[in-house]
Amino acid sequence: MKRFSNRRHSGIGSVILDIAIYVVMVFTLLVCLVPFIYMLALSLSDAKAIVNGRVSFWPVGFNLGSYEQIVNYPNFFRAYGNTIFYTVAGTAISLTLTTLFAYPLSKSFLRGQKLFMKLVVFSMFFTGGLIPNYLLISNLGLTGSVWAMLIPFAINQFNLIILVNFFRALPGEIEEAALIDGLNYFGILVRIILPLSTAGLATVGLYTAVFFWNDWFNGLIYLNTSQFPVMLFLRNIVNGTSMVGDAAGFGDKSTIAISIKSAVIITSTLPIIILYPFLQKYFVKGLTVGSVKG
Amino acid sequence: MRAQKPENALSYRQPFGRHFRRYWQLYAMLILPVLYFVLFKYVPMFGNILAFRRYRPAMGPYGTEWVGLRYFQKFMADASFWNAFKNTLVLSLVNLIVNFPVPIIFAIMLNEVRALRFKKLVQTVSYMPRFISTVVVIAILSELLSPSGGLLNRFLQDHFGIAPTYFMNEPQYFRFLYVLTDTWQYTGWTAIIYLAAITGISNDLFEAATIDGATRFQQILYVTIPSILPTIMVMFILNVGRLLSLGFEKVLLMYTPSNSAVSDIIDTLVYRVGLANQNYSYATAIGLFSGVIGVFLVTSSNYFSRKVTGESIY
Repeated sequence: MKRFSNRRHSGIGSVILDIAIYVVMVFTLLVCLVPFIYMLALSLSDAKAIVNGRVSFWPVGFNLGSYEQIVNYPNFFRAYGNTIFYTVAGTAISLTLTTLFAYPLSKSFLRGQKLFMKLVVFSMFFTGGLIPNYLLISNLGLTGSVWAMLIPFAINQFNLIILVNFFRALPGEIEEAALIDGLNYFGILVRIILPLSTAGLATVGLYTAVFFWNDWFNGLIYLNTSQFPVMLFLRNIVNGTSMVGDAAGFGDKSTIAISIKSAVIITSTLPIIILYPFLQKYFVKGLTVGSVKG
Repeated sequence: MRAQKPENALSYRQPFGRHFRRYWQLYAMLILPVLYFVLFKYVPMFGNILAFRRYRPAMGPYGTEWVGLRYFQKFMADASFWNAFKNTLVLSLVNLIVNFPVPIIFAIMLNEVRALRFKKLVQTVSYMPRFISTVVVIAILSELLSPSGGLLNRFLQDHFGIAPTYFMNEPQYFRFLYVLTDTWQYTGWTAIIYLAAITGISNDLFEAATIDGATRFQQILYVTIPSILPTIMVMFILNVGRLLSLGFEKVLLMYTPSNSAVSDIIDTLVYRVGLANQNYSYATAIGLFSGVIGVFLVTSSNYFSRKVTGESIY
């Protein structure tokens, strides 16, 4: 970066500072990555090597046994499929509703726009709380239905504000030209605003997708076992609530559980880890345009 | 709020009939999301009246008769409530003391890294944990700390001869582990805000400091930190406002009967009393109490922030 070119970088103090900084940075890298490497090593290791405590950061007795076991375990597949469904459907519903809300809210000339924004912000700080929300969902008859997973979180106020700010930043002249050309507001939204807003929609869509992918608590309180998402499945394995791969004659159960647990951790986190480097610029974007000021 | 443009101000003076005929489609878009918002955000908010009413099964979500402040008096006299209240406060404060300064220090250090690709790499990797599920974080933690062959216990045993400890189960490690996993998950992410503030500092200040003979360390002390002080203030006040909203899901995942003396916070108490024991009114009262304190903290810290720094969130 050019801005540092004229800063003083000589002298023993500067060298010490650099060494300290690089030590901290390498440490940060290791701390962020090592847990995943350890999980990967455990999931690919032989059960005996795990029992004997020989596995650290490299697989010992490399084998794919634990992955074979979880793939052949019907509950895992079902949970994984459920999570994919919740993520895709939840994100689609959420993006639709959030866009429909954010676009009119970005027009400050609409009557009541300020009031709506205030009500949105207020609902961020004062919420119904666990029990009233739970009673609402069960009184709507949504307990045990996949809608309980999708609908209550369809509009996130923070994401809504990101989109409002994004729409506001678009040049208004294009819209005026489209109005003169005879397009109505629905047409403008679909044909002009949305194509111009891919970056904003990607940011909000990613936050939403990550939320649905990682959600487990709502599954716990609203859903039946067959509808559980993969994160709840993982939580139940870790808790010991459910056992996976009770393959006897393969060392003792607790160690099998370790490699299998690790395999579930890796497989359920893999989509985020793989997509993350390509999409991370969108993740950061939301933080910079998402100031709460309405 | 953004200042209204003159032409908007004009259209505002239009009679509502004309205004509506012109913009009805924008209002039409609002129908579905507003209905949604009322049903799923505001109805539960009003559902809080259950705290003042007796709940009876199958008689609707808003209870059957008024009981006044009975449930509030009940939890005020309940030792487990005060224990949860104390745990919430202690955990929040420890978390604030540790995890408020760490991202600031990290951002300042990261800004001093001159190898650009390395800087980008560290930054990208450091905020990745923010997107990992809490379930996964706690699952990894429990494997790292497992008394049977977990990495830490093996290390302690091999090098120091310490017998394996079940860290996740011991109450004295709970707060430490909660705070540490928060550091791991959120340092990189929060640092982005400070890094943006540092990038916004005028280069002239650094140049002037260099000409005056300031070392890099002095530049950090006398240029970087004072320049981002407003951001630090706003973030601090925001954090105070959010003091009571701990990571409920993480606490619930880390909760075991043996660490419950320190890990039972208000949210887990509400969960246990409400959903496990089905004392809906009682749990709603506790939830409402902490919700009101939360609103008070946010509002007063926001007011304070506006007075002191001129910055506020709404």
